[in-house]
Amino acid sequence: MRQITYHIHRFNDGKSFVQTYTFDYEEDRTILWGLQKIKETQDPTLTFVAACRSAVCGACSVKVNGQAMLGCESKIDDVTARFGSDEIEIAPIGNFRVIRDLVVDWEAKVDRLKTVAPWIHLKQDVEDENGVIRQSAADFKKFVMGTECILCGCCASECNKLTAGQDDFLEPYVYTKANRFVLDSRDGNKMAHVKPSYENGIWNCVHCMNCISRCPKHIKPMHDIANLRKEATQAGFENKGTRHAKAFKDDLKATGRLNEVSMSLKSDGIVDSAKQAVYATRLMLHSKINPLELVIPHKPVKGIDGVRKIIKKAEEAGK
Amino acid sequence: MEQYDVLIVGSGGAGMRAALEVGRRDGLKVALITKIFPTRSATAMAQGGVNGCLNNVASEDTIETHTFDTVKGSDYLGDQDAIEFFCQRCPEGILEMDHMGAPFSRTEEGKIAQRNFGGQSYPRTCYSADKTGHVILHTTYEQCLKEGVHFLQEWYLLDLVKVDGKIGGAVVWNMKEGRVETIKAKAIVLSTGGAGRIFWIRTTNPFLSTGDGMAAAFRAGCALKDMEMVQFHPTGLGKTGILMSEAVRGEGGYLLNKDGERFMKRYAPNKMELASRDVVAKAIEIEIAEGRGFGSGLDAYVVADLRHLGKEVIVEKLHGIRDLAITFEHKDPLIEPIPIRPTCHYIMGGIDVVDYKTSATIVPGLFSSGEASCVSIHGANRLGGNSLADGVVFGKVSGAGAADYAEANEQVNCDAELQEAAKNWETRFVEVTQRKTGRPVTEIRDEMANTMWHKVGIFRDEKGMIEALAEIERLQEEYKTCFVGDTSREYNMAFVNYIEVGSMLTVAKTVIMGALYRKESRGAHVREDYPNRDDEHFLNHSLVSLNANGQYELSERPVVFTKYEPQERTY
Repeated sequence: MRQITYHIHRFNDGKSFVQTYTFDYEEDRTILWGLQKIKETQDPTLTFVAACRSAVCGACSVKVNGQAMLGCESKIDDVTARFGSDEIEIAPIGNFRVIRDLVVDWEAKVDRLKTVAPWIHLKQDVEDENGVIRQSAADFKKFVMGTECILCGCCASECNKLTAGQDDFLEPYVYTKANRFVLDSRDGNKMAHVKPSYENGIWNCVHCMNCISRCPKHIKPMHDIANLRKEATQAGFENKGTRHAKAFKDDLKATGRLNEVSMSLKSDGIVDSAKQAVYATRLMLHSKINPLELVIPHKPVKGIDGVRKIIKKAEEAGK
Repeated sequence: MEQYDVLIVGSGGAGMRAALEVGRRDGLKVALITKIFPTRSATAMAQGGVNGCLNNVASEDTIETHTFDTVKGSDYLGDQDAIEFFCQRCPEGILEMDHMGAPFSRTEEGKIAQRNFGGQSYPRTCYSADKTGHVILHTTYEQCLKEGVHFLQEWYLLDLVKVDGKIGGAVVWNMKEGRVETIKAKAIVLSTGGAGRIFWIRTTNPFLSTGDGMAAAFRAGCALKDMEMVQFHPTGLGKTGILMSEAVRGEGGYLLNKDGERFMKRYAPNKMELASRDVVAKAIEIEIAEGRGFGSGLDAYVVADLRHLGKEVIVEKLHGIRDLAITFEHKDPLIEPIPIRPTCHYIMGGIDVVDYKTSATIVPGLFSSGEASCVSIHGANRLGGNSLADGVVFGKVSGAGAADYAEANEQVNCDAELQEAAKNWETRFVEVTQRKTGRPVTEIRDEMANTMWHKVGIFRDEKGMIEALAEIERLQEEYKTCFVGDTSREYNMAFVNYIEVGSMLTVAKTVIMGALYRKESRGAHVREDYPNRDDEHFLNHSLVSLNANGQYELSERPVVFTKYEPQERTY
């Protein structure tokens, strides 16, 4: 009989270890079903959480062969077909403190969620004469995507920026939550969400898109981050991130090419750029940058008119 | 020892709405305990909507019509004064959710959209696409974060503690630390949800719905009311019990047994698959019982075949059903039939609320709201869209009731009693988790579910239910020496599951007692041996409580009528 093997990353009483369990294959079963089967027939100490088993509550997210997903909607058949093996590695989602086995500490994430004031700041004139709120169907559509977040943590699990450091970045779902209010026509204080997002990392996103590819609800947190950046920039908040983005755009508009040397000066300023001197020298020795570009600007590329048209369109769309 | 003015138990729509209400009172200290992260609650699974007469779509609708529809839907078992009170407050409750930021679908005028729902005279069900429960739950959570409600997360209720009959606090299992905690509180609100898991896999409910609050209230002296009133849905997904909308039948899907026969022709030759819910549910169960289903045990099923409807109908009108079938049953209805079987959806019964204006129970200081409670507004059958409304309305009422009580009463001195209860639970934890023998608690759970499904589910008769009662009582005995199998303290889910099974056995027994008492068929309660409604003898609530000798005792209380005389319930 065909067997499925789970290699489960466990953690209990301060000890980390990988334990292997094997059980009979049944068709059309989920990753969560396998975990329950093991707990009920082999090892009652195996610990995980699950609630709705229909992909709306977000409790059962785990890493399956290195990728975060909801155990209740992920099929064993799909995983074995995709990875070409009946051996499956299961671990707790990443970038969370592990409490035991596959259970992670959500409580520790609540204060981080609260950073962006994730509740409505009701607009003054949003009610009609009877005190009833009016919102057009079109305005409803603008923000509804972000409200579908189930707080499962999959977007945070393989977020490269969070893995590199959590002090200057928040979980992608936090920005999604912030942006959901920014886009809601009933909210009268966008800056209550934009400013703390700006102050807590939106410019540190490294655009790896893992949040987008992991979200079981097809939300795009990275796009939410992009919108928060736009809102912050339009509100006049300025930092290295905004200067970098502006320098990028100015270069493209001027010549269609990036000027790597002036880019650093424009984004980081003279003092911080000087700190990068050793790195810059190395780049220079490998012909990655040319210091002459500082004094002799690029010539506009062929087709610069087209580039400028694209930028103009993008600028209009952003307004 | 923790100390609060009000302690809320449960983080669904009702519990968090209650916490919010207390949190907005100056000078009151409130905490909410929940056995899982708050947004995992069953409320998240409610799809359809929340009822309230807003007249956004149907200007003819009135609060009185909502009241009548609810009374009629309850098959005249709901208390009419409570239903009037409820329907009057639904519009306000929904508009409050809008002000809190819940994303509602909109009409062309920008008002909250409303749709038709079963058993209702007008489109009055407000919705947010098919995620109404999810958005209400998350919105309420956001407001709790805003108000600074103190969450004690992954703290699991063990027992309520009383002194001289009054609530003084609770003993709680701190799941993360693995120790017993004591909480003093002037008032406690139980909003712990339903108990559909007494049928284990044959329910739409999350794994969390194990009747913990009901069992704790029962032990603390509350009656459980109308527990026989359990709502079943004919079309749950075969493997998981996940709810599949009635549209599967409404759009013309065929129900087939393993011989490929459209068996409904033998049960409802005219209406076929469009017969009423109870007729279809019973037909499916008979097919399975007589060996014409696929598979065996609680895993057995028949199938819904949609293929003849064509790609256009399936993709355009039934895309939600197709998604569910593909994701959770791994069957694409375009290519093959979907396994289905009836599933338990909701329990109308619950903790006996004796004052609907405050959600108070008979125990001073103890309040209850949401599916855990029985007010009763749902009577023998709940209308779709009335459960979210119940949470929104009575969540607030119970919060206000508990807050008023806490403002008017002193903390009961119960330090000794709390310590004593904590010590007993600590001893019990060590004893049961270190036990090396006994029947595995999951086996007890599965046998309970099997008994409940086959003898107290869709089919109910005297003989089967007397057997069921004996079986549950035997399981309660086996439970005393059962095997748990995990000695760790940190996040011991095996221990939590063990307590849940204990709660479910208590609840199951009260369901059977209520169902044996009610020698009639009314609403969701259908008896083979008493197929008719009997208004002469049973316009009463059933109440099961613990007597002084620790035995389950049944009593009854007349239903409250205002102006709606019982009529035959036809649609």
